Amino acid sequence: MSMNVQPDLEFIKAMKAAGGDTLKQCYQCATCSVACPLSSDSKPFPRKEMILAQWGLKDKLITDPNVFLCHHCGDCTELCPRGARPGDVLGAIRAYAYRSLGWPKGLAELCSSAKNLPVLIGIPAVVIFVMWLISGGMHIPSGEQFAKAGYTQFFGHWDFRLLAKNVLFIDIIMLTAVGIAVTSVYKGVSALWQGMSASIGQNDVPYRPSVPQFVKQFLWPAILEILEHKRFRECTVNADRVKGHRPLVFAFIGLFIVTCYSLFTQDVIGIWIPSMHGPISMWNPIKLLANVSAVAMIVGVGILWMNRSKMEAAGKAANTFYDWFLIWIIMGVGVTGLGAEILRLVGIASLGYIVYYLHLISVVMLFLYMPYTKFAHIVYRTFAMAFERYRDSSYIKNPLNG
Amino acid sequence: MSDTAGNGAVLVVGGGISGLTAALEAAEVGNDVFLIEKNAYFGGRVAQLNQYFPKLCPPTCGLEINFKRIKDNRRIRTYTLTTVKSISGGPGNFEVQLETAPRYVNSNCTACGDCAQVCGDEIDDAFNFGMGTTKAVYLPHEMAFPRRYVLAKEACSAATLDAIKAACKYNAVDLDMQPQTFTLKVSAIVWSTGWNPYDPTKITNLQYSSSNAIITNMMMERLAADNGPTKGKILRPGDGKEPASFAFVQCAGSRDENHLQHCSYICCMATFKQISYIRAQYPDAKIYVFYIDLRTPGKYENFREKFMADPNTTFIKGKVADIAAERDGGVTVTAEDAINGTKIHQKVDLCILATGMEPALGEQGKALGVTMDGNGFVVSDAAKGMFSAGCAKAAVDVYTSGQSSTAAALKAIQIGR
Repeated sequence: MSMNVQPDLEFIKAMKAAGGDTLKQCYQCATCSVACPLSSDSKPFPRKEMILAQWGLKDKLITDPNVFLCHHCGDCTELCPRGARPGDVLGAIRAYAYRSLGWPKGLAELCSSAKNLPVLIGIPAVVIFVMWLISGGMHIPSGEQFAKAGYTQFFGHWDFRLLAKNVLFIDIIMLTAVGIAVTSVYKGVSALWQGMSASIGQNDVPYRPSVPQFVKQFLWPAILEILEHKRFRECTVNADRVKGHRPLVFAFIGLFIVTCYSLFTQDVIGIWIPSMHGPISMWNPIKLLANVSAVAMIVGVGILWMNRSKMEAAGKAANTFYDWFLIWIIMGVGVTGLGAEILRLVGIASLGYIVYYLHLISVVMLFLYMPYTKFAHIVYRTFAMAFERYRDSSYIKNPLNG
Repeated sequence: MSDTAGNGAVLVVGGGISGLTAALEAAEVGNDVFLIEKNAYFGGRVAQLNQYFPKLCPPTCGLEINFKRIKDNRRIRTYTLTTVKSISGGPGNFEVQLETAPRYVNSNCTACGDCAQVCGDEIDDAFNFGMGTTKAVYLPHEMAFPRRYVLAKEACSAATLDAIKAACKYNAVDLDMQPQTFTLKVSAIVWSTGWNPYDPTKITNLQYSSSNAIITNMMMERLAADNGPTKGKILRPGDGKEPASFAFVQCAGSRDENHLQHCSYICCMATFKQISYIRAQYPDAKIYVFYIDLRTPGKYENFREKFMADPNTTFIKGKVADIAAERDGGVTVTAEDAINGTKIHQKVDLCILATGMEPALGEQGKALGVTMDGNGFVVSDAAKGMFSAGCAKAAVDVYTSGQSSTAAALKAIQIGR
């Protein structure tokens, strides 16, 4: 009798590309599951995930909550007797999962390789450039005009009171990117949740939490735990990451508030009070928050950058596009954003416009590629942490649901 | 026979079961043999065991007959407390510089023990892995060969030294003894330098130093041995409690890139053997064995089956990666049971680390020009006139050591022909 074995080369190659090439070293001693400070007694990891990956059971891995609960602190890798680097392997599995859960597929595939970097930068660069051309706003403003309007007339200006020309163009670009990302993440999280529920045999329970109940009991506590960085702090080998990750998280929250404020004042209140258009005063507390957040973003991602370089130099982490792409994008957003602001303050319009153009490109990259890059962890890990609470809750433990 | 014995002389480095075997095999076919040993006694690790495979004999059975053969054979010259300093020449005409450390007791000694009676200073009992102390002038162990006392001079006060010297009726105590260097001319060298138990303090996550309830498998041999610190009763070091539960931690430092890369081969069988010690004393004690794989080669498989059938002995497939000391003197070991995918926190009274075999020759061997593999084991090299035997060659049991020692002797006697 002959057996036709079809090795899943695509999965193996994906593991290798994302730094999980040590996978085959594992001999299942389970040291990692004990070394891991985040692994629970009833559902320990990453030993099980290691053998699932060795066997190529990718469908199980993509929706395995443990894959996302891992914070890649490296305590398991430090103690691993075989150099199988379970931490890196789980990172690689996550990269594969983001790709598999991502929609549209083509875009998800595109984000998985450094080879595609010119295209990845090219898409937003060309789109924004063409929009800039179409808008007719493509000329460098005079010093006086630049000081007054800043970048708010980047895409030109018209006298239609209800919607500024600049806002229209920015919205077309950004809302499209965000729309694709939100759709993708919605589809991904739905698939993940169904898979996670199926993995505990509970995808068809008669009693489910309502949306407010779900948010209150599972999602919100998970978010609070993330903000506290409680799990990051459990790590022993690589404890420095909190110093980088926390300012970054608060920078994103700060900038989210600033963006909402700016959207509201300029696009809504601006309809009645035209003076709301234009740069916000440097003494406005919101502007202060924006600046603090921008600095926090650059400092935070800078710490993570140095941390990763140091770990790679010491052979404690693999150099992968998956890990670096997000660091580069965030650094790009921070540096171009702050750079554009400084150039506005010193009044160099020509250079300012170019840096602002680069800023728009990096922001689009951040939004558009979020579901397929390491940035996706902000959604998938949050929901995995919510699921972790859900699976231990009375909705699952309730005998009526048994 | 003289120190400059002619062609065909063999130097055997290390006087454990392998060195004794190699020396006897070479001498009994007519070659001159120099057998040197770093310790003050012959017998090596086997002498420290309670019982050894394949037939679970006490070490006296096996070592005694070899000691008798050595005493009867005028072709073997033995040196204790002796190490190799340098080697020159090549196959057929080695010149080996050796150094004998001072024993401070000469051959007049009759092992009457009068000196120890008056000795007020004590040292850690190395033969029992520091479990208990011994007088600073001591017989290394009950069946030590040569049967002669050793004085740890640096551990003694001047008054003690005077008392010891005065107590000896045979004028055997020589406080002025100096290290002696000498040269031997030999044709071939057999390395039977054996092994050391891997240092458990290096396995930081197993917290060896945190509790008396964590011991090594070699300490367990001493606890079970009649001539050991507890006269053969298995008791917890420190508080002397009779343990009601035991955990065996397999692969403690073996098969591990961070420690010993090789499989130490004997630890699985040693654990089964030690379960038999426990069962003889504590028929109802709970025993937990945490393993990655159980390696019980050949006919040892029957031995495994016997103990795996024991209802009070549980085998858990999962390596212990954390040990925590408990208030009551016991410890809790943590592992993931890979069969059902849950973590186990098992509290036990005594935890035995199945520490592996670290080749004893180490870096010093490289400096002497010995060919070694990546794990520090000696590689036999006929072109160099150097051969390895027993655990210097690979991590093996006594039975296999006997085979490789005979093989090394056979190769070594061909060099001088």
